[in-house]
Amino acid sequence: MSHQAHTVAVRATGVDMFFGTPDNQVVALKQADFEARRGELIMLVGPSGCGKTTLLSVIAGTLTPQAGTVEVFGQRLDGLSQEELTSFRRKNLGFVFQSFNLIPTLSVIENVMVPLLIQGRPYDEAHDRAAAIIEKVGLKGREEGRPNALSGGQQQRVAIARALVHEPPLLICDEPTSALDKDTGAHIMELVRDLSRSPERCVVVVTHDHRIFRFADRIAEMEDGRISRVVDDPKLLDTTHL
Amino acid sequence: MYRLALNMLFGDRAKLAMLLCGLAFSALLMAQQSSVFFGIMSWTYTPMVNIRAQVWVSDPMVEQVNDAKPLRDTDLSRVRSVDGVAWAAPLHTSFVQARMQDGNFKLITLVGIDADTFAGAPALLTQGRIEDLRLPDTVIVDEWGASLMGRMGVGPDGKPRSTPLKVGDTFEINDIQARIVGICKVKRAFTGGPFVYTTYDRAKGYTLGARRTLSFMLVEPQKGVTPTELCGRIERETGLKAWTSDTVIWNWGERSLARNTFWWFWTNTGIPFSFGTAVLLGLFVGIAISGQTFYSFVLENLKYFAAIKAMGAGMGVIARMLFVQAFTAGLIGFGLGAGMAQAIGRAMIEKGMPPFVMFPQILWATFALVLGISFVSAVIGIIKVSRVDAASVFRG
Ligand SMILES: Nc1ncnc2c1ncn2[C@@H]1O[C@H](COP(=O)(O)OP(=O)(O)O)[C@@H](O)[C@H]1O
Ligand SMILES: [Mg+2]
Repeated sequence: MSHQAHTVAVRATGVDMFFGTPDNQVVALKQADFEARRGELIMLVGPSGCGKTTLLSVIAGTLTPQAGTVEVFGQRLDGLSQEELTSFRRKNLGFVFQSFNLIPTLSVIENVMVPLLIQGRPYDEAHDRAAAIIEKVGLKGREEGRPNALSGGQQQRVAIARALVHEPPLLICDEPTSALDKDTGAHIMELVRDLSRSPERCVVVVTHDHRIFRFADRIAEMEDGRISRVVDDPKLLDTTHL
Repeated sequence: MYRLALNMLFGDRAKLAMLLCGLAFSALLMAQQSSVFFGIMSWTYTPMVNIRAQVWVSDPMVEQVNDAKPLRDTDLSRVRSVDGVAWAAPLHTSFVQARMQDGNFKLITLVGIDADTFAGAPALLTQGRIEDLRLPDTVIVDEWGASLMGRMGVGPDGKPRSTPLKVGDTFEINDIQARIVGICKVKRAFTGGPFVYTTYDRAKGYTLGARRTLSFMLVEPQKGVTPTELCGRIERETGLKAWTSDTVIWNWGERSLARNTFWWFWTNTGIPFSFGTAVLLGLFVGIAISGQTFYSFVLENLKYFAAIKAMGAGMGVIARMLFVQAFTAGLIGFGLGAGMAQAIGRAMIEKGMPPFVMFPQILWATFALVLGISFVSAVIGIIKVSRVDAASVFRG
């Protein structure tokens, strides 16, 4: 194995993703190449409809591309069965969805426990770990309430707690701070960045929010279904469309 | 995850209430409709409930209890001589016209019982004594019949009103006087009007000495002889037909006259069909309601199950979660519905209207149906969740 193989967390190569019927086709990803390194927080930016969410889904194994290969922490996703993909997600992934997808009939803490319970952890252990992470995202005291009783920003923090609770190697966030004010957003991003600081970890964040660009190690710009440019410094970004 | 599955179910009180109402209502509908159906059908063998006997003997051609094909009087002594018979008493039943004092005619069920043993006498007299039937021209009328045969008059409010017959009142059967000496309480019958009890010999007189008046024989087995055993012997030795009655409690035995009467009505009349249609309708509505409420519950949770699936829960886990939810709701819904059916049934039994017989089998069948509905709904939910695209959770 080359030295590079040890530093790569996510690698997508030549990914094509089309939607719709052949005569009414939407091209979401076209020969997209993407790479994220271990211990890194990388952001994906680009105009709406350029394929950011689709790329996240492909990396997460919830969408299977028509062409190309995806590799996450040395694991090739192509060729895996649905069951194997599910098991891969359970072990390796944390999600922060654009729409929070919190279960309204469960309490805040129960929502946060879900990834641990899916992994088969005992209820009490899951409860304790969920309580600790809820405190970290600043929602202590709201554990037993319902998500709907919280503000949008608070709900997003619950969603982030849920994504972090099982300390997944790969954390995938779609617009995690869009509903948060500046300070809360910064606080959340600190949490997320801390999580990325380990060679076993990697964080990919899709965002429009230029206030959080400073938390990125690198920023990948997308355009028309492919990565057009990767920069190390946010100041180098073309922000006209953001 | 199962604990979470239950919390998801119990999390939304309003929706849970809707779901349980739907399930409970359909369980109630199914249990209650079938109970009324079997209640009505139980009216078919009412005579056997009222005329209690361990063994009935009839003409070999008789198929059911309301179909009396008269026996010869000599048959009585033949039956009495069968080994194991403690006693055998004659019984007459027929439908005859009774002429009321106001000139009205009423169709009655005349029951002539043996004056020595009083076998077949009503169990409960609210007025008078059974022995008074030994006085000349006497009859005992059932309570409900007494009001049916009551005198029409004008009440204090000017509206027409019927005054029930009472002890001491008289009417005529084929121009022969009948004087009421007692009022009894008996179960209502499907066929026939008021029950009028008299002695077997007097019944012969009331029917103008019809050539054959022996409708059935009521037989008591000797100690140590079972009714079924005795039936076999009587049939072998006399060529007549003998039945165990096992009346009050439903009996599936082939030798039960109650069962045969029930099935006779089932196969030979449209009555069970028309009531049965109502029962089926109840079942159908019940299934539709509970299936629908369940299905909408599943649909509402679909996107959350999709999220759980995206987070890495396998279909096995999700399937078990849905089953836990479905069966829990099904169990509670059934419990509530069956409880309500019991309560309503008890009230109905007290009033006697409409008739209500809730066999344990009805409850089991309802239970199976509700769980079946839960099962099917859960399976539909599982199929839905398995089809949903996990990537959809990324969309807004
Ligand atoms: N399930 C789908 N069916 C059809 N078209 C889709 C689907 N998902 C995404 N698309 C299309 O693919 C393109 C990329 O979408 P998306 O990845 O959501 O963009 P972004 O997240 O950058 O806004 C868009 O044109 C979108 O309409
Ligand atoms: Mg998007």
